[in-house]
Amino acid sequence: MTAIARMAMLDLRTVAPYSSQGLLIFGAEILLFANKPTVLLPVLVLLFTSTLTANPFNIADKANLETLYAVLPLSRRSVVFGHYAWALACFLATATVGAPLAVLFARAQHVPFDGRTLVTVLTLSWALFALNVAIQFPLLIRLGYSRTNYLASVLPSVVVVGVVYRMHLNVPSVRSWLPLILWVAGAVAIVASAAVTLAVDRKRVRYRPPAHDDRPGRQQSADR
Amino acid sequence: MRSDLAFALRGVGTAVSGTFALRDVSFELPTGYVMGLIGANGAGKTTTIRCLLGMRPIDTGEIELLGHRLPGPVDLRQDVGVVFDHAHLVGDWRLVQVERTLRPFYERWDGVRYRQLLDEFGLDLRAKVKDLSRGMSMKLMIAVALSHHARLLVFDEPTSGLDPVARDELVGIIGDFLLDEGRSVLFSTHITADLDRIGDYVTLIHDGRIVRTGTKDELLDAYRVVRGGPDDLSGAVGVQLIGVRRTSTGAQALVRTEEADLLGGNVLIEAPTLEEIAVHVGARVPRRSPDPGAESHRDADPHPAAEPHHGAGPDHGAGPDHGASRHEPDSSMSTKGIA
Repeated sequence: MTAIARMAMLDLRTVAPYSSQGLLIFGAEILLFANKPTVLLPVLVLLFTSTLTANPFNIADKANLETLYAVLPLSRRSVVFGHYAWALACFLATATVGAPLAVLFARAQHVPFDGRTLVTVLTLSWALFALNVAIQFPLLIRLGYSRTNYLASVLPSVVVVGVVYRMHLNVPSVRSWLPLILWVAGAVAIVASAAVTLAVDRKRVRYRPPAHDDRPGRQQSADR
Repeated sequence: MRSDLAFALRGVGTAVSGTFALRDVSFELPTGYVMGLIGANGAGKTTTIRCLLGMRPIDTGEIELLGHRLPGPVDLRQDVGVVFDHAHLVGDWRLVQVERTLRPFYERWDGVRYRQLLDEFGLDLRAKVKDLSRGMSMKLMIAVALSHHARLLVFDEPTSGLDPVARDELVGIIGDFLLDEGRSVLFSTHITADLDRIGDYVTLIHDGRIVRTGTKDELLDAYRVVRGGPDDLSGAVGVQLIGVRRTSTGAQALVRTEEADLLGGNVLIEAPTLEEIAVHVGARVPRRSPDPGAESHRDADPHPAAEPHHGAGPDHGAGPDHGASRHEPDSSMSTKGIA
């Protein structure tokens, strides 16, 4: 297993204790959008995957995992790329579960959902995911979850909604484009984001005081 | 680059905030020994350790760790076990999950050793990290640090949350760890009693500067505690009083050993303990004493600029200090200030 894969696995193990809550939310969102099969996957990516990908940062802040990352035999590059690999794995998992469900729901409701629609839905979901991660991850990795809580969640959402609105990005419109362009654009956005994150991470102190450590004097001594 | 050193910091400086920085920090530990890094809260112990571990970039100087100049290869961390004063694990992990999570990162992870240590410490594999007391959390982190066969253990205040029995256990564990001659320990603490049993070298840090570094015995020999009446410690020419404490009935200070005799016959001169050295050097200016009639201040700056230290090297003689075949620390001693 490579260092990047080990780091992605560490992210998975970080969120693993909370998997039952995650599955509940996932199930609720599926039920909520089961009657709209064509938007099910994009909605899952926007609402569920974006939360799931950011969750290791939230837990890391509380448990001071920055220190763990710093003492493990992992380079900064592996940590950064591992987080991105984790995000990609989350997208793949969501798509693997969400796409067949969308097809099933469409068939059950006699909604047209052919192979081209599926490709289009996947393309749209990928574009939304890539844009979200590309904006969110540099902030989360550079500043941590608690310091960028609103910024890291609101900013990508605002940009995503803005892009969708301005470009009239929906299933029919995307279908008329070359899906390949969106796949490539999404990949480029993620690579560029990772490059930016690596640059800003290079000189960062690999330590953040525990988010909920309220022992007297801890904040001060943590900096010394 | 010296292969006989566990680590060496040479002229290390880093700005932590507008008011605090490490300045010209230089000290080194020969392989096979235990070094205590002592100083008051906020003296710079943790920052020094973070610099040594590559967690904090340095502005000046250089750091050598296990024969590599930092930033060294990532695999260098295979050989370093770290225990901070707080656990850095997910609270909802069970101890068995801690092992599953960390094992893939270490080539020499020893699961049997991990379970043995948890058993020795009375920790249940099914327990969750968040349910452990502070002392038990420290034991868990120690078990992790000892389970991947590190050559250098770095402890940052590991005993601060432990009861005396647990502290004694930890000292025993460190002694066992040092049975292998190629292993070394850096031990940051403000509980200096821990070092009385296991410390070979001691480095005293204050306000981001190294005050003294060298063998424990030399540090103890370098100072004397002087006690006298309220006026006995005043007006002595050529004597720097360090961390003077005055009460209505007497005064106490630390002085350099060679200056102690200049104080006259009314002054009681005694060998200090490590704690007394740390307390006097770390005394703040000014600080109110709980005794309304008392005051405490530092008369002498304990850390004027001093020459870098490159002297300590191992003398490969016998000197079992931990129940094992250990090297006796050599007698070279660096004076960083109070000169």
